[in-house]
Amino acid sequence: MPRLARSEWYDLTRDMNWSLSYVKEEEVWPAELSDGFGLPAEAWWVWDEPYKVTYPEYVHNQYGKDAGVYAVNAVIGRSKVYEQLDPGWKSAIIAHYGVIAIPEYLASLAESRMGRFGRAAAWRNMATFGTLDEMRHGQIQTYFPHGLLAREPRADWAHKALHTNEWGAVAARSLFDDMFTANDAVSTAVQLTFTFETGFTNLQFLGMAADAMKVGDVDFGALISSIQTDEARHSQQGEPTIKLLVEHGRKDAAQQLVDHMFWRSWRLFALLTGLSMDYYTPLEHRGHSFKEFMQEWICKQFLDQFRDFGLEKPWYWDEHFLPELDWYHHALQLGIWYWRPTVWWNPDAGVAPEEREWLEEKYPGWHDTFGGHWDVIAANLRAGRPEATLPETFPMICNLCHVPVVAPAGYRAGRLASPLPKILDRDGRRYVFCSAPCQWVFEQAPRRFQGHTTVIDRFLGGQIQPPTMEGALAYMSLSPEEMGRDATDYAWAQAAPDDHAAARG
Amino acid sequence: MALFPLQALFDGDLVVLLVPVDDADPMTVVADKVAHHVVDRRVAAQDRPLRVRHDGRTLPDDATVVSAGVKPLDVVVVGYAS
Repeated sequence: MPRLARSEWYDLTRDMNWSLSYVKEEEVWPAELSDGFGLPAEAWWVWDEPYKVTYPEYVHNQYGKDAGVYAVNAVIGRSKVYEQLDPGWKSAIIAHYGVIAIPEYLASLAESRMGRFGRAAAWRNMATFGTLDEMRHGQIQTYFPHGLLAREPRADWAHKALHTNEWGAVAARSLFDDMFTANDAVSTAVQLTFTFETGFTNLQFLGMAADAMKVGDVDFGALISSIQTDEARHSQQGEPTIKLLVEHGRKDAAQQLVDHMFWRSWRLFALLTGLSMDYYTPLEHRGHSFKEFMQEWICKQFLDQFRDFGLEKPWYWDEHFLPELDWYHHALQLGIWYWRPTVWWNPDAGVAPEEREWLEEKYPGWHDTFGGHWDVIAANLRAGRPEATLPETFPMICNLCHVPVVAPAGYRAGRLASPLPKILDRDGRRYVFCSAPCQWVFEQAPRRFQGHTTVIDRFLGGQIQPPTMEGALAYMSLSPEEMGRDATDYAWAQAAPDDHAAARG
Repeated sequence: MALFPLQALFDGDLVVLLVPVDDADPMTVVADKVAHHVVDRRVAAQDRPLRVRHDGRTLPDDATVVSAGVKPLDVVVVGYAS
């Protein structure tokens, strides 16, 4: 049987576009599921992905990936590797699994929506592979932690987290619903595959895989590398979609979609990856700081991609985003450590004297802004007052990103003009925002977000009973055994105060 | 006498808090209720009286939440007197 080269048949078999005659276009591609932004139907037919794959190639590649990574898991699962990992690193991967595993499955819904409502056959073809990718990612990232359950009961949160009202899970659900579960196919291509995957997760997974190998977590490193190779392929769906929008005069729509989702992605990325890189990864295995990583991979490379497409950097880039690289994730780290019973992993303070020295070197001024808080906390721990390091009330939570409002830390760091939250009174309800960009995203589409309630809204609205810290923890499905504790049982705080002074230089 | 939720910020702290007070509480009590969650927890104590600011003005110590015109979920800023 003669075999044709792929290039001789690929376009022919892939591009099965057709003109509609029995139904109207809007019946096949309703705007709620596929907003064409006014482009003529046939304008989409030139959509072309830069990286090609056929179904036999796809199956062959994926089979090889799964065979390799599951083999590593089977071997490591019989070893003591996990027990020997640094406590902070364990926290990083338990946090990762809870935030990412089920959303990977949800992303398969997004890909399948593009597989049906994408506006070109080539796109629908790629999205079908993307659907299979994300199903694999959901399965493998629940299977691996399942194998840890005997040694790490909190690995259960890989599956559990997104089904709870834990505040971080609410934040993740809000982001992912906005980005893909409740998004139309065209916007999903721009926001999920270009902004989130190309901009953040593809790079994050590269970085995490490298970090995992450095700390000796071969299992997680193999897993993340395997996923990243899929991300690199299906994330390319955004590029041709943006090009078409720009070519047909809808640069405004593409820009708005990117600006909106870049900010929202940054919020969660700072929380998850910022803490992991600068506090949870053992000091001796840290390469770049989180800020250096962001500057190299996001600020430079991703910004270059914006510009290649004729887009501008987001309006908040210089005034809000870049300054936050110096303080935002440090504030979240302190807050999440203090409110540690409200998360399902064990936060690693990461502020032993030598770690403070590293933080001050990477973030000049860190000690003046954050070190004093840690000094007070450490003094309480050394004095045998751990109860003074535990919360008795809640932080306010942003009505857009659902992350606690830490603007005062930005003010203290000299990066914000005011420590106050942004407030919007609208239709009889008070909304609170952590930042100007979060308020901007909300006001771009208030009807999309106004029905959401934060955990604080629910507390004030009487949904959380009893209305106490204990009641809230139960509402968040956190039993005493599951609530976060300090990852090192306060070992970091035992260093003498003089050591802290030395660390400050 | 009714429970009254405020957004509260203590000078030098890093986060905006939800602090329930009573609408009849004078500002001295409001200040103490906010400070309870912050002072000697994340911010070192100082031997100076506390003051409450709202909408850019310092409220009298004997003003109550209601008499000062503070609304539910308004932001109050508590800090040491200069």
